[in-house]
Amino acid sequence: MDLALTDEQKIRKQEFYDTCKELEKKKPASLLSMETVFELDDCWEYHLHCAREFARKGWLALGWPPEYDGKGDMMDKVLFAEARGYYDIPGVDIFGVQMLAPTLLQAASEEIKREFLPPIARGEVMWCELWSEPNAGSDLASLSTTAIKKGDEYIINGQKTWNTAAHRADWGFGVFKTDPEARKHHNMTFLLLDMKTPGITIRPIPYLDGHTPYCEVYFDDVHVPAKNIVGQEHEGWAVVNLLAGFERSGMNEIMSMFRGLEDFVAFCNKTKRHGQPLSKDPVIRNRLAQLACDLQAARALAYRVADLQNRNEMSLMDAAAGKITFSELGERFAFLATDILGPYGQVKASRWAPLNGLWEKMFHDHFVTTISMGTNEIQRNIIAWYGLGLPRIR
Amino acid sequence: MDLRYTETQEILKKMARDFLTTECPKALVRKLEQSEEGYSPEVWKKMAELGWMGLIIPEEYGGMGYTFQDLIVLLEEIGRNILPGPLFSTITGTFLIVEAGTEEQKKELLPRIAQGELILTTALLESEGVFDASGITAKATPKGDDFVIDGTKLFVEMAHVANHIICITRTKVGTSPEKGITLFIVDSKTPGIICDVMPTTAADKLCEVRFNNVTVPKKNIIGRMDEGWPVVEMMLRKGAIAKCAESLGAIETCVEMTVAYSKERVQYGRPIGAFQALQHKMADMWTAMETSRYLVYEVAWMESEGIPCAKETSMAKAYVNEAYKDAAKWAVRLHGGIATSDEHDIPFYYRRSKAADIAFGGTDFHREIVAQKIGLV
Repeated sequence: MDLALTDEQKIRKQEFYDTCKELEKKKPASLLSMETVFELDDCWEYHLHCAREFARKGWLALGWPPEYDGKGDMMDKVLFAEARGYYDIPGVDIFGVQMLAPTLLQAASEEIKREFLPPIARGEVMWCELWSEPNAGSDLASLSTTAIKKGDEYIINGQKTWNTAAHRADWGFGVFKTDPEARKHHNMTFLLLDMKTPGITIRPIPYLDGHTPYCEVYFDDVHVPAKNIVGQEHEGWAVVNLLAGFERSGMNEIMSMFRGLEDFVAFCNKTKRHGQPLSKDPVIRNRLAQLACDLQAARALAYRVADLQNRNEMSLMDAAAGKITFSELGERFAFLATDILGPYGQVKASRWAPLNGLWEKMFHDHFVTTISMGTNEIQRNIIAWYGLGLPRIR
Repeated sequence: MDLRYTETQEILKKMARDFLTTECPKALVRKLEQSEEGYSPEVWKKMAELGWMGLIIPEEYGGMGYTFQDLIVLLEEIGRNILPGPLFSTITGTFLIVEAGTEEQKKELLPRIAQGELILTTALLESEGVFDASGITAKATPKGDDFVIDGTKLFVEMAHVANHIICITRTKVGTSPEKGITLFIVDSKTPGIICDVMPTTAADKLCEVRFNNVTVPKKNIIGRMDEGWPVVEMMLRKGAIAKCAESLGAIETCVEMTVAYSKERVQYGRPIGAFQALQHKMADMWTAMETSRYLVYEVAWMESEGIPCAKETSMAKAYVNEAYKDAAKWAVRLHGGIATSDEHDIPFYYRRSKAADIAFGGTDFHREIVAQKIGLV
């Protein structure tokens, strides 16, 4: 067991932190979470600005092989995520950089890699994910949107939903039913498509707090070049599973909570209630301390996931456990913070809102991590079935 | 960064698992819990041959010279299996002598500890049952070249079989509770010492030790006169991490036994492990085991490397206390009625989860330390 960073890693970590700290100075006050990035124009502009900044340093290609202009290794990627999380800096496209790029590197043809990786590394093209459908959520394999091959094109018809940032994205990746006759799991194909293609209609879905980070996407005879395929035709399920394996360590979210806790502690130290600072209240002390312990545990597990990833020994179980841990911690932090804020816990960003209304926002946004990318209940199934070897439901 | 065990640690782990499986089956654990001594001198002797008591004692004093991290590996295995007896209390006492003892004390005691000839324990708690210096009232008064100790210590692990009791006394009423604390190595056969075993949840032989005019030579002071509290803090820190490792091992057993049983036990025509209500609970138990694991490994690494880790220790102890109690509770619940029987093995773990929680500071005690360390004024 050795948790020490090498001297080189320490230097790079410092550079990540310094750069993010610098970028933080220009962060719009309205930027409270990734959800606001997708929604508000000034936040989206800032996201693109950060992406260009990171691209310039080669940090959007961390962990890629050198032949695709990659830089650093998986550990650098984790250290970078730490720094971005701590300062809550966007600029890394969750879909393009974090999900699609590693998938392309493993599963795509050389031609596809050469075409799609460089714009991701340059921070020029932003992506969205086209997976869920109204009747295919956790049971994604029962999807029904079709992509029927005709000549050198696929023609897509149907509907996708819960597409985060689809209204902002330049390109989308998704799975579509290409062989309606074949059995489940062998009937779909993983395709890449330009979101400006005629026939695509994007409708934002109002989120429970009235914001709009999600969309539904309608396909009406959308023509996609047949060459835009990743993996084998009809075998898109394998690509889906591969992509799911690039589940993040959660380091970004965890470090964001570390910072959130620091700021919240400072708030409690200076805010008086009953004639004394909130920090003197033994119940608040105990609850915040518990949260700090849980955060430390979540980070320890994230390091474990990172350590495994770094050695290409990814364990589905650990990734699932990590996702459950950090997402439910976010949920608890939101509940705890809004509890402690009392009546102010319900105030949206405004002159009345403590900490810029962050926790009122988080009271809604925490569902993004517990439900998306495989609900936590699905993650528990993964641990039970694949990890503990318990019988699967049929 | 590499979170795997080293090769040495893998060997140590395997050796410990094999040894404990053979030498300390649950039938023996059950017998020892009911016995007066609470340990098996035969097993103790074999453990000494394996070098366990001397694991962290430097080689120059007859020990193995292993690191603190290596000790964690051993304790995790012990926690998995359960090993009643004075190993933990002896190791805790050893921390004090290795880190703060005089050269003379080290030369005299450490080789004998390593040989398994001496059993140690540390007497800290008193009637208030608190882990900070404010609870220490047992007085040590100078008398010529000696000191005289008066007071009652409680929850002293295995004191009834210990050769030496390290007694934490108050030698001065200072400006703060931490000032005026002095540690003495006391021969347990010294006249004036009366020891009674307390009946406890884990039957782990916690004792009341009464010191009545007990004379101790001045040379038996560990560390500095009146300034012993930082040494006690060091012992509490290492002890808390060590206890976390033991608890981690115990959580592993709770998870493994529960998962195995749920695959065997058939109700409604299928193994109960096929029901999602139980699967998700077991997934949570497994997750808590993994978070506990890397939390403990991280702080053990810090302590081993000499990196200050008071905050991280309290975080780990507060977290693992709850994780162990929860895992043990769910192990009983998912086994159902069978695990509420004293003839089942799971209750060993359930009962010990409470003892482990209390040892070296309970959850709320550690959370308050964390509250301070994260900057709450």
